[in-house]
Amino acid sequence: MEKKAFKVEDKLRLVLVGNPNSGKSTLFNSLTGLNQRIGNFPGVTVEKKIGSVRINEKVVAEVIDLPGTYSLSPRSEDERVTFDYLNDSTRTDLPELIVVVADASNLKRNLLLATQLIDSEQPTILVLNMMDVVERNKQNIDIDKLQKRLGIPVIPMNARLGKGTRELKSIIGNYQYKKANKFIEDHESKDALENTINRFEKIKGIIADTLTKIGESRTAVITRKIDSVFTHPIWGFSIFLFILFLIFQAIFSWSSYPMEWIEGGFLVLGNWLAETLPQGVLNDLLVDGVLAGLGGIIIFIPQIAMLFMFIAILEDTGYLSRVSFLTDALLKRFGLNGRSIIPLLGGAACAVPAIMSARTIANKKERLLTIFVTPLISCSARIPVYTLLIALVIPADKQFLSFNLQGIVMMGLYLLGFVAAMVTAFIMKYVVKSEERSHFVMELPIYRTPRWSNVAMTILNKTKLFLFEAGKIIIAVSIVLWVLSSYGPGDEMANVDAKYKSELAESNADVTAINEKIATDKLEVSYAGHIGKFIEPAIRPLGFDWKIGISIITSFAAREVFVGTMATLYTVGNEENTEGIKAKMQRATFSDTGEKVYTRATGYSVLIFYAFALQCMATVAIVVKETGGWKWPIIQLVYMGALAYFSSLLIYQIFS
Amino acid sequence: MKSSLADHKVGDRVILKEVLDAQLTIQLYSMGCVIGEELLIERKAPFGDPMIISVEDSFISLRKDDAQKMQVILSE
Repeated sequence: MEKKAFKVEDKLRLVLVGNPNSGKSTLFNSLTGLNQRIGNFPGVTVEKKIGSVRINEKVVAEVIDLPGTYSLSPRSEDERVTFDYLNDSTRTDLPELIVVVADASNLKRNLLLATQLIDSEQPTILVLNMMDVVERNKQNIDIDKLQKRLGIPVIPMNARLGKGTRELKSIIGNYQYKKANKFIEDHESKDALENTINRFEKIKGIIADTLTKIGESRTAVITRKIDSVFTHPIWGFSIFLFILFLIFQAIFSWSSYPMEWIEGGFLVLGNWLAETLPQGVLNDLLVDGVLAGLGGIIIFIPQIAMLFMFIAILEDTGYLSRVSFLTDALLKRFGLNGRSIIPLLGGAACAVPAIMSARTIANKKERLLTIFVTPLISCSARIPVYTLLIALVIPADKQFLSFNLQGIVMMGLYLLGFVAAMVTAFIMKYVVKSEERSHFVMELPIYRTPRWSNVAMTILNKTKLFLFEAGKIIIAVSIVLWVLSSYGPGDEMANVDAKYKSELAESNADVTAINEKIATDKLEVSYAGHIGKFIEPAIRPLGFDWKIGISIITSFAAREVFVGTMATLYTVGNEENTEGIKAKMQRATFSDTGEKVYTRATGYSVLIFYAFALQCMATVAIVVKETGGWKWPIIQLVYMGALAYFSSLLIYQIFS
Repeated sequence: MKSSLADHKVGDRVILKEVLDAQLTIQLYSMGCVIGEELLIERKAPFGDPMIISVEDSFISLRKDDAQKMQVILSE
């Protein structure tokens, strides 16, 4: 093997700062490509994107993408993260350069943050992004003059097309810190308000000198035209609901093919492993425990990725902020805020990042209420449970108004979660007291075609996070579960073998049928069976048998474990692992009455239970962090649990 | 003559003169909505809440409560 000469490389840290919608993430993606990962800021849970980029032959830079902020006077939690990072004097392990990313087509307000950073006396350069929009709007910016007036390097760019990247790298590579003149002297600014007012006066002067405008801005005209439909009180709402409907139909029809391939692949892999590996406990554990549990979750990746894709597209085009505008008046009545729509929609993918995105809500009470109700929105972890149970109790070919009935029930469950969230918020509005005044000052960015690389990166990062976070828990739970269902107290397991021994010995015995009976009986006397049986009296009124009981217990780790658990429970002891879990569940009966378990009533009852119960350790953990204590997560856990139990009870009694 | 922004109708061009809330002032400023700027009332949701205004080429949405705290005069 050829050995490469070891090179000492200079390290540098680039910190990207900028207004929301300034194209900061696009620049980050175009600089780092796939060399990026997501970490956490110490102490808080805001996503910290870190990547690396080669600047020149000698220098490799670490790039940090800070949350978007309009100024250095933070008004929301999200902005505070950026503020705290920039004001933390202990971060001296690497030489640093702050790259302010500004939307050049909105130069005036973007310069506010840039000049604040100049005055913080940290090495700063300014990237003027979206130069294409400036050109399209027939504007001209005198870069040299701007550079002189600000006293820092200014680089015009179009991050979308990667234009200006080379110039940016060359300036970073040759950067020498030179103290710029203070923009606003400290004595001129006694408080934040005065400082901002003085600053803007000066910025206005600079803009007058450097920006020339010929005629009307085209992007504003286009945005105005689109908004006349999208924010229209009737058309706007109709379009929003229609988009939601299309998303759900798309998710369930498009994802069925990759899901079938994955299911088939796992069956083949399981059988191959079972035959190839030496027989024994390890073989059973791997095939029936780990692989069955993991297969049950990987199959839902297509749906989850697709949901993240749609949300990323809606956000990137600028449409989501219009939805906030449309829904603010309504949400306000429920104690929420137009901005709550982003966590609420994001909650349909995963409550954890959704609860984190509630940080952009400045009002504390509205933020708390949003956090409290977001887990009621059906997240992608419920998709596996919903899909499996809907497929079990509703025939695939059933149609309603020429739409697939399964898809409609699925949409109904999402609607139910949304209604429950709204009603809960409405009650909470009167329980939680607050003196703070609520604002809803929000920028509506111009419409743009989505930046596909941003969308792709979002899908990749979120799906990876989901898969690894959920995957860890699922593997652990699957192993514990396999042990609990493969072993039993005393010699009960052996007794089952003994019971069927004579039957098996008969010459005309149906070996497959008897083996399945043995497996079922064994499961019933296993540790898992005993636990399930113990709680069965409490859940029988909801139409649940002890197997569902075990699944509910294990689901407290995470909801999607339900499917993994079902897969493990129905695979344990089944010699020929050739049929999907759905077929096995269809044949399941109550052990005492012999009635079919998965009737319509039980199906609906389990669906409702999973729609409402807070069965997600990750969500509890994030709520503890975000609300700063155990009080709210515990109230949330108890409230959602009670809601789930009594709703399921009601539904089962109605349908049975 | 000064009046509140909430009292103006869609299509009105007004000059921002005063904001009666310090917190709101900073929020508006950081979005480029500064005293002395011309604002255009772009659109109002039913009952005038919320509304969209534009400052130069930035579009900003505001609640009626916020708009009531903003004193403006009609632009010439």
